[in-house]
Amino acid sequence: MNPIRKQRIYALIAILAGSILAVGLVISALSKNLNLFYSPTDLLNNNLSSDTLIRAGGMVREGSIKRSSDSLSIAFTVTDFKNDLLINYSGILPDLFSEKAGVVVQGYLESEGTFRAVEVLAKHDENYMPPEVAKLLEEDE
Amino acid sequence: MIPEIGHILLVIALVLSFVGGLGAFALKRELPVLKISFILNLLLIGSFFALIYSFVIDDFSVAYVAQNSNTNLPIYYKFAATWGAHEGSLILWILSMNIWLLTFIFFDNSKNTNFSNYVFGVCCLVIFSFLLFTIFTSNPFERILPIPPINGADLNPSLQDFAFTVHPPLLYFGYSGLLIPFAISISAMLSGQPNKDWASSSRPWTLLACSFLTIGIGLGSWWAYYELGWGGWWFWDPVENAAFVPWLLAVALVHSLLVTENRNIFINWSLLLSIFAFAASLLGTFLVRSGILTSVHAFALDPERGLFILGIFSFFVLGGLVIFAFKNSTNNVASFYSLNSKEFGLLLNNLLLVVLAVSILFGTLYPLIYEAFTDGKQISVGAPYFEFIIFPFAILLGLLQGIALYISWGSTKSFSFIGKLIVEAISISLLTLVLLFILFDELISASFFAIFIFAWILAGSLMINFSFKSFANYLDFVNRRIGVMLSHIGMALLVLGIGVVSSYSSEKELIIKPGEKVEFLNKDIELLAIKDVQGPNFISKTAEIKVSDDKRVFNIQSEKRTYFPSGQVTTEAGIDTGLFRDFYVSMGDNFKEDSWSFRLQSKPFIRWIWLGALLITLGTFISSINLIRKQ
Repeated sequence: MNPIRKQRIYALIAILAGSILAVGLVISALSKNLNLFYSPTDLLNNNLSSDTLIRAGGMVREGSIKRSSDSLSIAFTVTDFKNDLLINYSGILPDLFSEKAGVVVQGYLESEGTFRAVEVLAKHDENYMPPEVAKLLEEDE
Repeated sequence: MIPEIGHILLVIALVLSFVGGLGAFALKRELPVLKISFILNLLLIGSFFALIYSFVIDDFSVAYVAQNSNTNLPIYYKFAATWGAHEGSLILWILSMNIWLLTFIFFDNSKNTNFSNYVFGVCCLVIFSFLLFTIFTSNPFERILPIPPINGADLNPSLQDFAFTVHPPLLYFGYSGLLIPFAISISAMLSGQPNKDWASSSRPWTLLACSFLTIGIGLGSWWAYYELGWGGWWFWDPVENAAFVPWLLAVALVHSLLVTENRNIFINWSLLLSIFAFAASLLGTFLVRSGILTSVHAFALDPERGLFILGIFSFFVLGGLVIFAFKNSTNNVASFYSLNSKEFGLLLNNLLLVVLAVSILFGTLYPLIYEAFTDGKQISVGAPYFEFIIFPFAILLGLLQGIALYISWGSTKSFSFIGKLIVEAISISLLTLVLLFILFDELISASFFAIFIFAWILAGSLMINFSFKSFANYLDFVNRRIGVMLSHIGMALLVLGIGVVSSYSSEKELIIKPGEKVEFLNKDIELLAIKDVQGPNFISKTAEIKVSDDKRVFNIQSEKRTYFPSGQVTTEAGIDTGLFRDFYVSMGDNFKEDSWSFRLQSKPFIRWIWLGALLITLGTFISSINLIRKQ
């Protein structure tokens, strides 16, 4: 074979191999690492298994934050103004977590209406509303 | 009056850049490009200073100042607040594009008038479009009349910090630096500049852009680490990815230009990659400023601005691709290279970097794609996706990087270095493991890959076993390649830092009250007191913590600040920094009386990440300066 052609074939094989590697990785990574976002209402009508990591969110209901006095456990309710979801979490909350503010939590649905959060997501800006939550509240109005 | 002058200067710059841009394409003769760039620069600097002035004198009739400053803000931050939000940072961005243009024109010694004119023209048109965008959708000089507010809303407290004041300018400088290779690529196609010439004009500027991008991203990561109070150094946030993707493409371009300049091949690839690198930097701007993606970097959520930037993006990128379609180089000199050549190695390097960049971009944009195809279902792609993707690429790139300096153009005569390289890499790996064992009393297998790749790149970059006649020869060799050696060693340190910090970190959350003692990683930790501290524009609860182990005793202060007037609360982590381990304490919430929750973290080798980034910055900077001096 002519050396230039051979060289082109090698380059082509490398490009193909690289692209296949990438596509394979992307597909396999996406199949495992996607976190769907649910509103409390969505979760009410959903038969999710309790070992699927999901995101949920809404507005933290006023007066719903209950702290334990001697441990890091905390419980609060998020609402989309149609339905509520009770969130249980253990750990330190982000600075911008407060009543009547939007929040996104990542974790597992335990039983109807209760959610075990492994992470409460923080944002830089106090005025910032996670788009998922903003959209939820918009739909409500 | 001053804000109006700033505004007028912007308008004059708009007209001048438009005239300059058109003139460069219409007039086929020598133009005073240096003079025009210089005047443009003066106009933009004038406008920028007008904005700084408005901040410094607290002119709250200017809406942008009122939104981002306050009389209580320390003067240094008033100054830095100029680029603290969308409008002001745009001015800085445009100014930095212009500084690139001016520097390029100043050092340009091309004999081909058309080539220089077109580079100038493309830059002017890009600057024009950004000025248009600024003046019509994001004018920082807009007034609140007739009744200006008495005081401003304040700068976001997380941004009141040293690293923040230098991170954006450096990052913008890196982003906007990719304008030069783009303009060179377009100009080379239009003017028919010989490949070797345009590639050697482009390479130093691409390296320099890379250098600024690296330090900008590095500072951002450092800032997030100590300022956000969580101890993370990279979050795979869309905005971080928006900077990482152009970085990957710029690094790929640096390597492909090397081949184009030396071997007169990969010509169309380098032309195309120059367009894509610039496109990625524009796309980054679009993502950050349109608010279409969930991000911690909440800039301006304004769809109109998003559309405008999308317009600029489409015009230049599609325009560039159309020119490429018609004017690409058909002058493909058949140059032979074999599978064991530097050319093929660099081809793999480019392939891996570009495919990685595309995969990261895909993950970043996937929530949008998903939402569009599933009728509004919301989704997020988290860190595990990106970590999973980057891992194999990092290993392959690292393996290539280790042999990068040994292989030769055309074909590598002997691969006898491989055996020695393996021995060296294994020795360095073992030494590193011993060090880790001494430091932390355990070996964690998750870090082994990273340690080997670190050792492999380090051994390969030092080139100890390469046959040198004498030590003087080696020094001479190092002297000629100091830039590439430093940046590759920087990459090695970065890999080690990431590998160790992600496997050896540990943390503990607890509640303690003053006088109480707890144990964490063989250290006694005592909360001495919680004090009330009054700052210039905040009040804080400051925890005084004493840490003691068998070697030393030190104090750490961790704070919970409440800034006024916004009332925003921030956590100021207390950090005991060390080359081998950071000890990181962040304060949580107040429980009954004086007891507080705390998060204690140990972050081994985290400094190596930024040390690596610093070396890459330095290495690319030196390479670039050497090339500019040679021209």
